[in-house]
Amino acid sequence: MTRIVKALLSTVALGLAGAGGMPQAQAPSAQVPSVQVQGTGVEAHLSRGMQLMQEQLFEAATSEFEQALALNAKDPKAHFEFAVCLLSLGRNDEARKQFEQVQKLAGESRYVTYYLGRLDLLSNDYASAIKRLGSVAEDPPFPDTAFHLGVAYVSSGDVEQGTKWLERAARLLPRDYRVHYRLARAFSSGGHEKEAAREYELYSQLRDEHKNTEKDVRDCASALRAEPLADAREVCRRIYDPNDADKLTLLGQLFGDAGAFAEALEPLNRAVQLDPNSFEAWHNLGVTHFRLNHYKDARAPLEKAVALRPEFYGSVVLLGATLYMLGDDAAALPVLEHAHRLNPADAQTAAVLEKLRAGRKKE
Amino acid sequence: MGEHRVCNARVGGSNPLPSTNFSGGSVLRGVTRREFLAIVATGTAGAGVSWAQESGGMASRGVKPQPRGKPSGLPFHARFTDVAAHAGLRAPVIYGPPDRMDYILESMGCGVAFLDYDNDGWLDIFLLSGTRREGPVEGATNRLYKNNRDGTFTEVTAKAGLVRQGWACGVTVGDYNNDGFEDLFITSWPQNILYRNNGDGTFTDVTGAAGLLHPGKRWGSGCTWVDYDRDGRLDLFVANYLAFDFDKIPPTGKDPNCDFKGVPVNCGPRGLVPERPMLYHNNGDGAFTDVTARSGIGAVKAGFGLAAVAADLDGDGWQDIYVACDSTPSLLFHNRGDGTFAEQGLLSGLAVNEDGNEQAGMGIAIGDFDTDGRLDALKTHFAEDTVALYRNAGHLVFEDVTLRSGLGVETRYVGWGNGIADLDNDGLPDLFWVTGSTFPEVERKHPEFPHKTPRVLFRNLGGGRFEELLDAAGPAIAEAHSSRGVAFGDFDNDGDLDILIMNMNEPPSLLRNDVRGSGHWLKVKLVGTRSNTSAIGAVVTVAYGGRRQAQAVLAASGYLSCGDRRLHFGLGAATTADLEIVWPSGVRESVKGLRPDQLVTMKEGVGVVARERLRS
Repeated sequence: MTRIVKALLSTVALGLAGAGGMPQAQAPSAQVPSVQVQGTGVEAHLSRGMQLMQEQLFEAATSEFEQALALNAKDPKAHFEFAVCLLSLGRNDEARKQFEQVQKLAGESRYVTYYLGRLDLLSNDYASAIKRLGSVAEDPPFPDTAFHLGVAYVSSGDVEQGTKWLERAARLLPRDYRVHYRLARAFSSGGHEKEAAREYELYSQLRDEHKNTEKDVRDCASALRAEPLADAREVCRRIYDPNDADKLTLLGQLFGDAGAFAEALEPLNRAVQLDPNSFEAWHNLGVTHFRLNHYKDARAPLEKAVALRPEFYGSVVLLGATLYMLGDDAAALPVLEHAHRLNPADAQTAAVLEKLRAGRKKE
Repeated sequence: MGEHRVCNARVGGSNPLPSTNFSGGSVLRGVTRREFLAIVATGTAGAGVSWAQESGGMASRGVKPQPRGKPSGLPFHARFTDVAAHAGLRAPVIYGPPDRMDYILESMGCGVAFLDYDNDGWLDIFLLSGTRREGPVEGATNRLYKNNRDGTFTEVTAKAGLVRQGWACGVTVGDYNNDGFEDLFITSWPQNILYRNNGDGTFTDVTGAAGLLHPGKRWGSGCTWVDYDRDGRLDLFVANYLAFDFDKIPPTGKDPNCDFKGVPVNCGPRGLVPERPMLYHNNGDGAFTDVTARSGIGAVKAGFGLAAVAADLDGDGWQDIYVACDSTPSLLFHNRGDGTFAEQGLLSGLAVNEDGNEQAGMGIAIGDFDTDGRLDALKTHFAEDTVALYRNAGHLVFEDVTLRSGLGVETRYVGWGNGIADLDNDGLPDLFWVTGSTFPEVERKHPEFPHKTPRVLFRNLGGGRFEELLDAAGPAIAEAHSSRGVAFGDFDNDGDLDILIMNMNEPPSLLRNDVRGSGHWLKVKLVGTRSNTSAIGAVVTVAYGGRRQAQAVLAASGYLSCGDRRLHFGLGAATTADLEIVWPSGVRESVKGLRPDQLVTMKEGVGVVARERLRS
């Protein structure tokens, strides 16, 4: 049993190689394992592409999406993910074509409308951006819709409307310094000096906080590398903010990366309470419990993570391993089958699956 | 522990993926704040928030370039050829080791200047120089070249008394004692230098007598003459970069501020101690008084100040000072007109980019790219970031129009000296900057970050749009060097703007511009009487062909450099131009119906005193 779980864990680690916080430019695509798998399906290519995007390996991800589309050119999801990837690469014209293809295949979608509005904004077509983003602003697909709509209005010269939407964005994203900066500029342009001063103040405060956090993260990572855990814990404590799920998740991850799983638990538990829709928090919490051999405790967070991102191979395979460790083979089997579909190259998962299936036959 | 990195709560960069569930419904559920930030990053040319810097000590946004549009297909009538060797500029500008840069001081390079030190009507050249830590390099010195008026220059450094080897940084040119001859102030580590022009082809180091020697070691960077109190005498503004000492700076690769893309590099500026700028008042007796505290300049939060440019940006008749800061918010000192300044970088919009992020400010160009009669600004930055083009909306409000003007297509290089200058005489000022890495070591591991990189030229298409010209402006644009300072001027007096460039550990480049086509031009030289004789701080607005273009007489521009004091206006097809001058003293003068293709010399309170047809 232990050997099998080890194999699964190594699979998880393998599948995630290169995700170690390394930005794209630091990880040339040559370092990305080029997995050539016979019989790889659309689902596997999509999963791999999304994983590569998560790792910011966008160029490599495009290849996966292209392969997915070669197998099924009418898969709107593949077109959509490909489009997002192209947008990340700044290949805006190609991204637009893919989004338009999604519309053709699947009809109107506010997510596609949002992205097309963003592309309009990037190409300085403010009228179209306002039309598109405005059409989805009341039921926004993403919280930053109001922000981009506000920017589009301001850029088009309609400072009054722009200010209105940026004010809404500031309510939706009260801790984002960029929103407050743009709002301050809009107030300035409109001659509302008092309101501008207030927003500049907020911007400066949030920006300073952000910079402090940047420094704290660097210090924490460095301390975890170089100092005894007790000392590092003190340094890392500076990141702890009981009301900021992002910082808590980050802190948990930093501890986890350093192997300090016990320290990772508390911030991650708090993070999922604050932001129950955070895939990152749930996944990290599940991983942490798993690494502490708390398989019972790992199950629910990993189930939550998989529910939030059913195509994320790392979460799926770890959930399968957890269920397997708990002896719930019946539950483990379909999960690992799903994992295998997402990553057919993973020989270890295939081996575990074979054993499970063989066991079921014996029963 | 790779599985924890799955979510990688994006320590190393923001997650570019929205949590999209294509079938809808649960999409919003999965979107975290961090994802929102990432989404912003995706679409605003990558202005993503990350909690850790990926580029060591430099502020870089990790910006991916915007896609290039279809080429306009319009002809560009300027063509640049590097004629430095033919012109006699063959000595390399020494600045640190050629193949590595262990200290930030070795990486920052220096400026250049076009000036007419002997008042013969032909631009001479002054090149700053560095040295090497290991010891003096034979022959390395700041150099003065006299224009032979035939396309060549003769070095006169020794004769002029300007031989000096050290870590020179910036230069500002102006007649501080109003004797009719241009003087030189040079920033340098660890001590700055003032050279008085004796009027006979020689200079005298008068730093001590002028009261400009400072205690201890200081790294003066940007500098500019500025008559901030309008008393007719040039005062002196000096930016300081950071506290530097070879023995106290952490070694290469010491901490996260000494790492670029996983390669150990020289440390800074982040992690080092930032400095404040200084202001010296000209007493009128050859000496200066430090008024940094009294003027409010010293009240500003310390930053990593580099280029400094003085110009009346809000048209109130008083010169303001804009300082590009490297990885800290840039500074705009608004001149209150009472001997004091208020720092208004943030309020003006000039401190940060449109997302509120500080950038690694290097060079500043001032000009009127949209020909609306107001002075705009262009600031260069580190690689993986755009430059910042700020449109002056009036009343000291500037809009960041970088992306909407089409400049977001170029993010590959570290940008330095720059200019807003009409290079093809079509009446629309173009944008130019030079580039070069600060980390020669990086290209061995990352060929995509070469040490030597090309020049960048964006031609002005009108309507606030620009188009990058990769190979349509002559062979000298694509040539790769690690360049720093840039000066613009018409060294061969043929009616166009040539470009002088400092290259690290190579001879300089002298890009001779040969403009074809039928574009007209007008040059304006100002001589102050109530104002300083150099007329530094004057603003000239020329109306031509339905446009109004403003230019300022600057004592420093681009990266630590100084250009031709004669203002050059391309006029396009216009055959007549009207001129308005606001002198630094506040006096206003105008001339109507000027014919093109001539150099007009205006004397304050007198009017046109000379007209010269140059050989275009």
